[in-house]
Amino acid sequence: MFLLWLRVAAALYGLASLAALPAVLYGRKRWVKICVGAAIGGAFFHFVSLAEMLNASHHWIPAGMHEVQSLLALLIVLAFLLIALRYRTVSFGMFALPLALVLVLVPAIGPDKYTFTSPLIRNGWVMLHVAAVLAAYAGLIFSMLASLLYLLQERRIKSKRPASRLLPWLPPLETMDQIAHRTLLIGFHAMTIGLLSGCLIAQASMGSAYFHDPKVILSFGMWLLFVVLLIIRRSQGLRGRRAVYLSTLVFLVMISVWAANQFSSFHRFTTP
Amino acid sequence: MSASTQLVLLGVNHKTAPIELREQLAIPAHRLAEATSQLLARPGIREAMILSTCNRVEILTTQDTAADTVDFLNQYLAIDPQLLRPHVYEYREQEAVRHLFRVASSLDSMVVGEPQILGQVKESYTVARSVGAVHSQLEKLLQCAFATAKKVRTETQIGSSSVSIASVAVDLAQKIFGSLEGKTVFLVGAGKMSELAARHLMQQGAGSILVANRTHDRALRIAESFHGKAILFEDLYSVADQADIIITSTGAPHAIFRPEHGQRFLQRRRNRPMFFIDIAVPRDVDPRMNELEGIFVYDIDDLQSVTASHMAERSREAEHAESIVTAEVERFQQRLQTLDVVPAIVGIQQSAEEIRQAELLRAHSRLQTLTPAQLAAVEAVTRGMMNKFLHMPLQALKTAAREGDAAKVEAICAVFEGGACAAHSVEAEAAAVKGTEAEKAGESRSDHEQVVAGRIEPEAGA
Repeated sequence: MFLLWLRVAAALYGLASLAALPAVLYGRKRWVKICVGAAIGGAFFHFVSLAEMLNASHHWIPAGMHEVQSLLALLIVLAFLLIALRYRTVSFGMFALPLALVLVLVPAIGPDKYTFTSPLIRNGWVMLHVAAVLAAYAGLIFSMLASLLYLLQERRIKSKRPASRLLPWLPPLETMDQIAHRTLLIGFHAMTIGLLSGCLIAQASMGSAYFHDPKVILSFGMWLLFVVLLIIRRSQGLRGRRAVYLSTLVFLVMISVWAANQFSSFHRFTTP
Repeated sequence: MSASTQLVLLGVNHKTAPIELREQLAIPAHRLAEATSQLLARPGIREAMILSTCNRVEILTTQDTAADTVDFLNQYLAIDPQLLRPHVYEYREQEAVRHLFRVASSLDSMVVGEPQILGQVKESYTVARSVGAVHSQLEKLLQCAFATAKKVRTETQIGSSSVSIASVAVDLAQKIFGSLEGKTVFLVGAGKMSELAARHLMQQGAGSILVANRTHDRALRIAESFHGKAILFEDLYSVADQADIIITSTGAPHAIFRPEHGQRFLQRRRNRPMFFIDIAVPRDVDPRMNELEGIFVYDIDDLQSVTASHMAERSREAEHAESIVTAEVERFQQRLQTLDVVPAIVGIQQSAEEIRQAELLRAHSRLQTLTPAQLAAVEAVTRGMMNKFLHMPLQALKTAAREGDAAKVEAICAVFEGGACAAHSVEAEAAAVKGTEAEKAGESRSDHEQVVAGRIEPEAGA
């Protein structure tokens, strides 16, 4: 049954992604309502599907590639909805919703071939670890999006064509800066919690060998980059082009960390 | 409107009359109720509303054809008729509707798309209503005008962009800073336009204002009027980084803000954005400042070109708005015509019902043997027949009204007016022959059926 709900969610995310185009590009109010409504509906069915999926497999943390992707997509959509509610802007939907759709499409097509078989998945600490790391990814993605939109809006104002019909709903620069900073801060805290909980689990179950794992090393690298980004932001008021460069760098590291599952002896999704 | 009354709108506006005349004609808000009452008291005036703004004075009335509204203006405002006549425009019926819809939708305004006019029309309507000068006809018309104006606002972008330099500056500041709450504005030099821009920014919530001028006394005076702080001109560069928005309009022959200053400001501000509004000619801000990340510079030409592009956008939107107004005027006229035939429809239905009742009464003695269920069936069958019979002519009547085919409407009504007469006669006849219904019933029913079906002239049944 969870596949059906996930497909409904995917269809609604698809609708929301399409609605985001006229809503953001041309500021059509009716499409804003459709976009937000479809995203809320999608998130609801997505949550139901995820809960059923986890319940059916008798564990409460995502233990397979599909489940992890699905949870990350849900976190991204929730972050989009929170930003839409707090800052009254749907501009992020243009990027965040298609991303959530892509993440959800593969799990919606069929059952997972790759599942994490370790008995550790029943451990509550692992649940905290996975959820926190995924929240950190979502925070970073939004921070980068906010920096990109900041750059776009900055260019538009500098070009002396502020009334362009394109993207009339881009939020003001300061709002975008706040979003970029806050999501980065949330991402940093989540990453710290994720790393600490991961360290505790690894130390207790496998000892120090765990820390030679490439995914773990890259994750620490990513955490350090988070720290650098935050320090520069705080001391220099990092904005615009440089903020985009640094966020993109951290994002690339994040992709590498994600991809490092293939080389990780502990994080590998083994074939059942 | 009915044949005896006419909808008339007359007035003067910024296109037809110079400001000197409009000043004389303007009726202040506190006298509007009294003026409307006086207008209503004039012979031939049935309903009235007066709209008086700085750009127009208009009188909207439903009136008998003989009423003279211009005369009211002459007398009430004591203006020479010869002076007034050449500037007055007058619209009647559909043209008056169109004009009112255009005014309420801000298509006839000096600045097309400005939002105040709708509020002013609503205010005039409230005043007219309070003195009992608005009844069914103007009520319907004004409600439609408000709905049209709302439709124009929501379906077009006619009022979405600013068209004055000061408001464009505020818009730009909001694009950079979002809310202006707590932002500091620095006024460098003094000039009418820069003060106006500063005033707009303060109205939008800017927190504080700093003023620097080569003549410090003048800076003190301006600062006092804004409840701000005067700064010595020598301290310009040490204070400028405290400001989020700098409006500059000095008479300096060369740029007083250059990229090296901008870099220093940004460093001190930790790259928080700064917005320079340069109204001076020659310019006070080096255009290369705009290349610095975090500094935004708009000079007077930039602001004017933004204003011009907004005006062009409004003109494009105005075309769309005009088509909405045309459609709404047409719809209003159709509704009006359809409404005009409502009394006729009600009359025809009443006549037919009276015929039915009379026929049932005539057949009363013969129906006595029927059970209540059978009587109910007879009742339902006769009513059903009546409704089916009336359906097509009534539909034809409504269609003719919608299409404005007055001849057809009159023809249909004429046929049924006979029916109505016939119904009344049947009633009288039925009362007279109450005791001998059985003998006359068949013949009479046959006559009435023919009258209703239009096969014989009404006189035949009377």
